[in-house]
Amino acid sequence: MKRFVTGILAAAAMMVGAVAHAGEITVYTSYEEDEVKAYLQAFNKSHPDVKVNVLRLSTGDLGARMLAEASNPKHDVIWGWAVTNMVDPRILELTEGYAPKAVDKMNARFRDPQNRWVATTGYMAAFCVNTDVLAKKNLPMPTSWKDLLNPKYKGEIVMPNPASSGTGYLQVVALLQGMGEDAGWKYLKELDGNISQYIKSGSRPCRMAIAGEAAIGLSYEFVAIKAIAGGAPIKMVIPSEGAGYELEANALMKASKNKVDAKTFLDWSITPEAVAAYNAYKGIVTIPGGKISDEAMKAGLPADVSTVLFKMDFDASAKNRDAILERWKKDLER
Amino acid sequence: MTSRSLRLDADRVFIAAIGLAIVVLLLVFVAWPMLIIVGKSLTTKTGFGLDNYWRVFGGRKFATVTWNSFAVSTTVTVITVALAFVYSYALTRSAMPFKGAFRFLATLPVFAPSLVQGIGLIFLFGRNGLINTTFDLEIKIYGFWGIVIANVLYSLPQAVLLISTALAVADARTYEAATVLGAGPVRKFFDITLPSVKFGLLAAAFLVFTIALTDFGNPMVIGADYTVLANDIYNQVSGQMNFQLGSVVAIVLLAPALLAFQIERIANKRQFALVADRSVPLAPKKSPLFDACMFVAATLIVLPIVAVIGMVVYASFVKGWPYNLTLTLDNYLNNTAQNGYEPLVNSVLVSLIAAVIGVVTTMAAAFVIRRDQGVVGRMVNGIGLLPAAVPGMVLGLAYIFAFNKATGPFSLIYDTLLMLALCNVFHYFSQGMLTASTSLRQISSSFDEASACLGGRVVDTLRLVTLPLVMPTLLAVGIFFFMRSMVTLSGIIFLVSPGTNLAAVTVMLLDDAGATTHAAAYSTLIMLVVIGSLVLLNLVLRLLGKDAPRAAI
Repeated sequence: MKRFVTGILAAAAMMVGAVAHAGEITVYTSYEEDEVKAYLQAFNKSHPDVKVNVLRLSTGDLGARMLAEASNPKHDVIWGWAVTNMVDPRILELTEGYAPKAVDKMNARFRDPQNRWVATTGYMAAFCVNTDVLAKKNLPMPTSWKDLLNPKYKGEIVMPNPASSGTGYLQVVALLQGMGEDAGWKYLKELDGNISQYIKSGSRPCRMAIAGEAAIGLSYEFVAIKAIAGGAPIKMVIPSEGAGYELEANALMKASKNKVDAKTFLDWSITPEAVAAYNAYKGIVTIPGGKISDEAMKAGLPADVSTVLFKMDFDASAKNRDAILERWKKDLER
Repeated sequence: MTSRSLRLDADRVFIAAIGLAIVVLLLVFVAWPMLIIVGKSLTTKTGFGLDNYWRVFGGRKFATVTWNSFAVSTTVTVITVALAFVYSYALTRSAMPFKGAFRFLATLPVFAPSLVQGIGLIFLFGRNGLINTTFDLEIKIYGFWGIVIANVLYSLPQAVLLISTALAVADARTYEAATVLGAGPVRKFFDITLPSVKFGLLAAAFLVFTIALTDFGNPMVIGADYTVLANDIYNQVSGQMNFQLGSVVAIVLLAPALLAFQIERIANKRQFALVADRSVPLAPKKSPLFDACMFVAATLIVLPIVAVIGMVVYASFVKGWPYNLTLTLDNYLNNTAQNGYEPLVNSVLVSLIAAVIGVVTTMAAAFVIRRDQGVVGRMVNGIGLLPAAVPGMVLGLAYIFAFNKATGPFSLIYDTLLMLALCNVFHYFSQGMLTASTSLRQISSSFDEASACLGGRVVDTLRLVTLPLVMPTLLAVGIFFFMRSMVTLSGIIFLVSPGTNLAAVTVMLLDDAGATTHAAAYSTLIMLVVIGSLVLLNLVLRLLGKDAPRAAI
């Protein structure tokens, strides 16, 4: 009997022990599946001894999960996650300030003053325009937000619902910050007349355009570039007023049980090697020195994206979120 | 003390022991997580209170959104129960051909990953879809009717499972007596058939209603601007990281479940058993005209289901969906899923564990409900019906709060496949329990009495009489748990860890990354695995000399 009990205890100890050991870190991310694969290959080339376990969830789902797990976090690093969500005090509380090697070379705009987060990549608002539908309905190609007010587009535009989609929110907030509150809301109200539906995800408007269900999907650049590379009859339009954008940041978890390797990973995340890997996928890379991918170039992304980006105020965007969504629901939600 | 009364005591102990075990399980895996949700809904910035409730109830459009939810769910319920009844009637009471195929086809949506509906429905009914382009129409699917169609397709199999279980058992003597007394077919239908499946219909209606009420996937894909309560939960929890307001809406969704529980209790009292001690099974007689009508009706009902699934299988063989339809095997041979086919193996394991635990627990629960009309039975029934009304996303998050601990018993199983299986079992517990109950209720209690008179213990009655009679239902319930576990996403998405990734999650990741055709290929593989398992099960049963599960829809 005693031996039996010891056996059980040993087995239990093994199960517990197997969960974490040195040389292994767990990373939560909202990067897409194929990006993760490519970045990790690059990381393991120079760090073959660190095994990175990755869990990928959409931005909102990941946030809900991290908050629910807050009493017993399972991960060491947050990687590639929207800054607007990261600056939520409940999330910041879980992180620990860490300045990766050579972080001082980065533009201060892209990191937290206390180094609780460092943003390396980002995505920007872009229109997915289906050229087939445009030709069939004899519609002009839009080049700006203002163009979208053309009554010819009535019922042909799909936009993400900002209450459920981060992409939708960044589009709305960039318009409000760019035009000013009053003009911004007035514009959104006018645009509303042309919108066929507010859809509940940020990539779906582009998918709708790809499938020919809408002429114009207000989405972000990554889906558009992918669609064009895949042969879809899509043209990517970066609005000439400047594109709203979101940054994706990394952070060290306070509760990490393997901070040595976690820091190694965060150091790597801003090296030229990492930047080279990001550039194959990302429209926005905050660390200079890279070159955008051929796919992105072919889709029409300018070599220097900073020329087309709208200057976002992320603090204001996070702080005013509730109020903006409240007003949006009141005035525009159907 | 005589040996008889000793035996009765032993019986009572046996029933009490099972009852207690089930109550403990339900308290731990359903009631405790639900209490946490209640707690969250009452947590405010300053402490405890009803502030969150006032904020939600006072919110603009709360009335509209609630109305939308009830309008959608009621419409879905009426349509689904009517269609499921016709379909089940054709399966059980007609002599139409290809019944096996019809049984199988109706289960397809149960093990089709949710992506399937998104692709299939839009390709069929979308602006640019098959129907609109073929007939040059301008039907708008997005909105109310889109959600209704999607939910009817999704909940139909679960309603068919319940209603056909109820219809499968009938006493031919009642019908013969009615014929002798001069009753026509219409009279027999309304006076014998309908009353006899009342409980099944009621249970199906309750189930379909709650499924439609808690679903947020279909409204997201095809609902356009039509917002329902479940969307509000998603917007609050995932869109704005506000679990408190999300839980308030989740609690509001529980109300209809509690109401249905009361209605069910009342109906329960009037239910009578159909398989009496001397009953003669009803075998449908051939009747060419009636059989032909039933065949046509069943075909019309199953056609959209087959079309939607067929679309995804088709998409898995093309280069770029939907603009480059060149055929290719690339999506299978060079699938970009990060962990290859390992998640598929994990999913099969989780589904097998869920099937075994699911059958044992739901059967035990149904048994306790039948044999114990006291507090324990009512508790099991009450708590057991709750999960149907809890959106998977809420359940998954509640499981994190309840079981993600650094120490203690749950730290050992958290992050294991077992935990994922348990989440699936209790997520779909109500469906399993209702099906098992429906089946048990139709067996006359005179069997128990006769068995007891002959000195048989409850255990003997259970083993020798009850179990053989409900065997087909048990198999059906097991298969149901297996199939749902292969594809469900909403709950387990918060519980999977890097080491325990599942197939359904992989499909979602591929779809999120825009690799629609690869996601379609992975979905098709999941469906193949399920079909393969069913074929295997059939072979094993044949080898054992048992009939293939008749009620295994």
